[in-house]
Amino acid sequence: MPEPTRAWRWRPWLRALHRDLGYLAVGLTFVYALSGLAVNHIADWDPNFDNYERELRVATPLPAEDAAAAAYVLKELSLEAGSARDVYRVDAAELQIQLEEATLHVRTDTGEVREEGQRPRLLLRIANWLHLNRGKKAWTYAADAYAAGLLVLATTGIFMLPGRKGLLGRGALLVAIGVALPVLYVTLSGGP
Amino acid sequence: MTDIRSPSSDLLRAISRRDFIQRAATGTVITALGGGYYFLNDRLTREAQAQTRADGRPRVPPGQRVIEALRPMGGTPGSPNPSEFRLRISGEVERPFELDFAGLLALPQTDVVADVHCVTAWSCLDARWRGVLIRDLAEKAGVKKSARHVIFEAAHGYTANVRLEEALAPDVLVAHRLDGRALARPHGAPARAVVPSLYFWKSPKWLTGIRFTSRDQPGYWEVRGYNNHADPWLEERYA
Repeated sequence: MPEPTRAWRWRPWLRALHRDLGYLAVGLTFVYALSGLAVNHIADWDPNFDNYERELRVATPLPAEDAAAAAYVLKELSLEAGSARDVYRVDAAELQIQLEEATLHVRTDTGEVREEGQRPRLLLRIANWLHLNRGKKAWTYAADAYAAGLLVLATTGIFMLPGRKGLLGRGALLVAIGVALPVLYVTLSGGP
Repeated sequence: MTDIRSPSSDLLRAISRRDFIQRAATGTVITALGGGYYFLNDRLTREAQAQTRADGRPRVPPGQRVIEALRPMGGTPGSPNPSEFRLRISGEVERPFELDFAGLLALPQTDVVADVHCVTAWSCLDARWRGVLIRDLAEKAGVKKSARHVIFEAAHGYTANVRLEEALAPDVLVAHRLDGRALARPHGAPARAVVPSLYFWKSPKWLTGIRFTSRDQPGYWEVRGYNNHADPWLEERYA
């Protein structure tokens, strides 16, 4: 008597695929989600840099020669002597000293110094760089693969666990809500 | 075995539901009050909306909210170092040339007080810019009659396209000072374009070149779904 053939059970395969793709997507989901949140609110903050400004003062008179004046300012402000990347005379009374992440605007007549700088938000800046595909080339393939992976995750997610009412239960309602959100928004806002 | 649907557990569940609804309602009311306060307390926008520009248009374009100071709005920074600044004037011109920062400062300087309108819906009023008018640079270069558009070129390949007649308006300039101070790094030091009549992505920071062209060449954001013209009063935000 031949052995009865077992029907192929596809849901466990789907769940395994969904789970493994989910594992693969964790890293990129954090990158895209966090930078998405950050860049969405770009009008309220700079997602790449922490910008700062502060007013300082050094004693006058400053040395007349630019390099000497810059060295004097750095010493007065307790900054490393070799930290100036460039010194530029904007006009008779203003000297700009370029540091790695800041600029010192020095009024040579009054000794007033305005320091304005940018400290990179390390992880967010990298995430934003990846999200906006500023690197181009190979990253386009990685981003495309991730997007395709999300489509597979969304699709397998619908079918991986059978509901008590098949596809028509709570899952259908939630899918409908998810689809309705962009449709309603586009309809009510007038769209592009 | 315990009956999990005992009256006491039903009661507990009802209380829990009531508690949840109360908390949700409280949260919603607080959020709504906060949002309402945010909009109703927007004195700057209300005052500016009551004003009219000299050209008859409202001071505040539709959909904009007035804020107190210019915001940086990102971008991949170029060198803030004036020593490294170079500005190429090229394309449909008789006499292409290049300026360093000292050369820019040596040209006639113009002060312009202009409002800034960002596509992300904020506006900043009465920004005081100092720099060199594009029309002065165009005159120095001898723009050919074939020129129809201006392409602003900036660090890392950023570009923005502007119609020639709009780029030559008397308030369009290469600015190196804002509100009496040298331009700060987040705002494109040492020099940026300023085109006040268009959304501000048309005013590239870390400017490196001004190219006159006979044909339009949509720029960085224009090929990414943003409007090719970008008039704030027509709300030309997206393509």
